[in-house]
Amino acid sequence: MIRFFVWLLLLAVLIISPFLGAVSLHVADILNPQNINNAIFFDIRLPRVLFAFFAGVILSLSGLLFQTLFRNALMTPYTLGISSGAVLGAGIAIKLGLGTLFFGIASISLFGFFGAVLTVFLLIYLAQFLKSSQQESLLLLGIALSLFYTSALMIVFYLGDTMQNDMLIRFTMGSLSIIGWQNPIILGIISLSLILVVYMYRYELQLLSISDTGASLKGVNTKQVTLKLLIISSLGIGTLVSISGPIGFVGLIVPHMVSKLYPSTVDKRILKTAIFGGFFLVFCDTIARTLQTQSELPIGIITALIGGPFFIYLIITKASR
Amino acid sequence: MIEINNLTCSYDKKTILKDINLSINSHISILGANGSGKSTLAKTICKLTNFSGEILINSKNTKEITAIEMAKNISYIPSKLEIYDAFISVEEFVLQGRFPYKKGFFDYSDDDKSITKQTLELLKLTHLKNNALSSLSSGEQQLTLIAQALTQQSKIIIFDEPTANLDPSNSKVIAQRIKSLKDYHQIILITHDLNLASFIQSDVVFIKDKSASFYEDNFFTNGNLAKLYGVEFEALAVKYD
Repeated sequence: MIRFFVWLLLLAVLIISPFLGAVSLHVADILNPQNINNAIFFDIRLPRVLFAFFAGVILSLSGLLFQTLFRNALMTPYTLGISSGAVLGAGIAIKLGLGTLFFGIASISLFGFFGAVLTVFLLIYLAQFLKSSQQESLLLLGIALSLFYTSALMIVFYLGDTMQNDMLIRFTMGSLSIIGWQNPIILGIISLSLILVVYMYRYELQLLSISDTGASLKGVNTKQVTLKLLIISSLGIGTLVSISGPIGFVGLIVPHMVSKLYPSTVDKRILKTAIFGGFFLVFCDTIARTLQTQSELPIGIITALIGGPFFIYLIITKASR
Repeated sequence: MIEINNLTCSYDKKTILKDINLSINSHISILGANGSGKSTLAKTICKLTNFSGEILINSKNTKEITAIEMAKNISYIPSKLEIYDAFISVEEFVLQGRFPYKKGFFDYSDDDKSITKQTLELLKLTHLKNNALSSLSSGEQQLTLIAQALTQQSKIIIFDEPTANLDPSNSKVIAQRIKSLKDYHQIILITHDLNLASFIQSDVVFIKDKSASFYEDNFFTNGNLAKLYGVEFEALAVKYD
């Protein structure tokens, strides 16, 4: 029953979301090609809702993947410093004044992408020195990297002028405000590929969610599978963060929400987590767009406001078990 | 059949096993003091740790065969279940033993499912099949681990201290189960439970000072045990049969 209402609520929000915002839209205006609201609906609202949906898919599925592969409830691209890597990359691009485009891609996005991907390779390299039982150390490595990046970002702030810093702050807070169809289409392709690949490895993941040695004793090439899945999801995360900036907590809380709704093995939660994540981010984005403030709230603030308390709840309930 | 040639094993720069040469053709119990390297030996056989030298399983070098082929030849049962997923049921877990036989990216076949069903019946676990594995007692978990190894249908089964976490009555259940597997499987038993080792009636490998000695009989005499373990022995043990 709870499941039904949760899905109904999220679905309802998904449907009405494109109609809500700074300007309320009416169906009659939308269907009239001469009306300005037609353009707002099809070129701004609809692409944005889809962008938010696919961003949610990538974030939550990556979260589920990281939590399963490392058998740790707190592992996400965000807690491992991958998003911070992207922010630092973007910060450097902004500071260097690389406003121009490389082959049609904004330099901020390009640097952000490499910041994220390089961080993943750094983590994979460092993880070799850990024993397989030391998953906690990997989390600490990620936290150490995050802190390091944050300090480096402070230097960029210190050196930047007001305009650069303003751009950087906006990027850091995360935003889903995009125009046109290019970004939603890119994220859509990435989301579908990610879902497909993760689904192909569903039984390997089921084995890995018990234990790493157990999985390899049953014939899983654990190193290869882990590396493959990490790289694919990191490319997705890198692309997303380079466009939207970091959006925290979605990758952390959505997989846990879905496992509370559906207590089952990981292979049965892949699709549900992806779709729930998409709905969830559209939900958060709708709140961000409709709260009547001077301008819309950055999405990162909303997810963090919901995610922070949930994170604490998670730590407390885990500790008391 | 397992052939071990010039095996040397180190961990954190400390040598655990040195120049081991062993030919294991039938059931065997591996005994030795804590930290003597019993489990390390089992783990090297399963390719879970690094080593120098070579290990042949059915005349194939373990360094050259895939994880899947390995799993079809040998299964390893740990003394305690480590489990992150809190939701997996007994049936789902036992079905995982069929992974090496599963085709590509497809689901488990009907064959896999019926083998699982039979194994659950054999080990009298059917009434628990929908229970979460994490909610089971240590004895039930040990039986479930055995069930998973049986669905794997490997010739060789390694038991790593199967009775270490069990009370006497559960130990008895497990001991009898292991003995009953002797007809179809080659059993490798690692244990401190001397009573269990003698009940299984296998050859014995005793590991001491980084090397292994082989005993076909005359192992379970009070004099020999006192010499090897350095303590006096007196009979005070569960009756397993």
